[in-house]
Amino acid sequence: MSSAFVSLQNVSLAYGKTVVVPDLRLDIRKGELVALLGPSGCGKTTTMRAIAGLMSLHAGSISIDGVDMSRTPANKRGVGLVFQSYALFPHLNAFENVAFGLRLKKLPRTEIIGRVEHGLSTVGLSHLAQRKPAEMSGGQQQRLSLARSLVMEPKVLLLDEPLSNLDARLRLEMRTELQRVQRDTGITMIFVTHDQSEALALADRIVLMKDGVIEQLGTADDLYNRPETEFAADFFGFENIFEVSGSSIRGPQGSVSISFTAKAGHLAWRPGAVKIGSGPHKATVRGVAFAGEHREYVFDTGLGQIKASAPAGEPAYELGASLSFDLPEDGALSIPAKN
Amino acid sequence: MTGTWASRLIIGLTLTFLIGPFFIIIAAGLSAGDFLAFPPDGLSLKWYLKVFEVESFRESFALSMFLAVFGTIAALILGVPAAYAISRYQIPYGETIKTIVAAPIIVPGIIVGLALLRYLVVPLNFTITLALFLAHTALVLPYAVRVVSSSLNNLRSDMEEAAVLLGCSRLGAFFRVVLPNIQSGVLAAFILGFVTSFNQVPVSLFLSGPGVRTLPIDMLSYMEITYDPSVAALSALLALMSVVIVFVAEKFLGFSRYV
Repeated sequence: MSSAFVSLQNVSLAYGKTVVVPDLRLDIRKGELVALLGPSGCGKTTTMRAIAGLMSLHAGSISIDGVDMSRTPANKRGVGLVFQSYALFPHLNAFENVAFGLRLKKLPRTEIIGRVEHGLSTVGLSHLAQRKPAEMSGGQQQRLSLARSLVMEPKVLLLDEPLSNLDARLRLEMRTELQRVQRDTGITMIFVTHDQSEALALADRIVLMKDGVIEQLGTADDLYNRPETEFAADFFGFENIFEVSGSSIRGPQGSVSISFTAKAGHLAWRPGAVKIGSGPHKATVRGVAFAGEHREYVFDTGLGQIKASAPAGEPAYELGASLSFDLPEDGALSIPAKN
Repeated sequence: MTGTWASRLIIGLTLTFLIGPFFIIIAAGLSAGDFLAFPPDGLSLKWYLKVFEVESFRESFALSMFLAVFGTIAALILGVPAAYAISRYQIPYGETIKTIVAAPIIVPGIIVGLALLRYLVVPLNFTITLALFLAHTALVLPYAVRVVSSSLNNLRSDMEEAAVLLGCSRLGAFFRVVLPNIQSGVLAAFILGFVTSFNQVPVSLFLSGPGVRTLPIDMLSYMEITYDPSVAALSALLALMSVVIVFVAEKFLGFSRYV
């Protein structure tokens, strides 16, 4: 694909004899914000480290801006990385942390000062230039780490779990910050996360990975509303997944018939799509938890356990209560069988 | 309250046992008499001054200083990269290597000294100074590796990767990022190595030869001939030197974190 800015072709990655990523193809366009999403151990961080050059390729090639980088050492790739732990230099103050890479480039003194000051002001840390990292909060450290990478004007900026070490309020702040920086600089960003809500909120495109293989690639809307595999469906909240067999669906405990015709494969429902209180199926409440706007239930049913939720305003079912429910066609996601 | 009178008594007795001899030595050195005695036979500073006039003391002090400073530096030049390799890379038998490196402090000094004499000095015709230098380097090496390892283990390795991504070479990252952040550990290792080397007796005893002696060995042989209070005075001065070094190290480095 000629429009690809970062291109991974048949990339295979291994730790010793353990192959983590068997054969990855991925094209990322210039200026895109892409999320590598997946559970721990899915190969997303390994893939990111390979793009950075911190990990050598077992097979395949990586090119950036049309140049094959497969054998280029990490310090010559022009790729920035914001580490999950920030990896700031504790012996240097904020200014010197940001100046570190620029000094190595042997830029003129005035240019270094100008770029560092601009970098610090971009992330709102100008007033803390003389502070050591240990004297800064987690959010400030993260922004400092971002500034340190940004002043190098990397072709690609990689971010490892950029929001995971922050509390909820800072997380929102940092998310806004990242979006703004990306819009202002037009820099191509790839970030790694295990949190689907982060990926949905930030990314132009999401690469969902499982066991080193791309499970699905698409926009937030694609993945959230039209997951194509059982894994993707489960990851994006379709927690009740059952196999279709003829006119019924089968769970671990047995089968129930459904009132509509479905294609072969699987049917999946979000907990909120399960209709509670009426319907052809019987359930016993196995677990109930109050979650603010909703009450979350676990039901024992003829299919096995299913998860359901109802607005908190509706009457609550006690633990052990019996009730009727339905798995309606409206809200059912059809996952076609694999060929 | 820090405890009952009984526990204070025990602490007091322990401290007396540990520090008491130090005061006896100081006092014995202050004697005005001609023989080493306690309580001192009158008071005078003459033995403290005499220490500086004995030529063999001056020579052996210079040798001991040379060994302590350069032996420790050599041990650090070997030990810092070793500690780095052990803590950063998955080296086969890394733990075993660590144990072997520690061998010179586990094996009794007399055996180390005899072994070095029998298998290095005699067959290879090493000069005494060179043999002493090698022995002291080996004896200090375990401290260098241990102390530097512990400060490396507290340093996250992703910092080096960050430096590399900002344009550093691996070696550059070591000098620009790793070394500045373990410098207090390296300094602590230096002080520990210096004191260890300076106070070393059993190994040096075997390797010292005619005219070439470290200070502690020289003091021993001086006492065999001359039983005057100058040895006590010298001991007090050396103890004072160690106390000052450790005190300064604790004050500025938090030395006790490493030892």
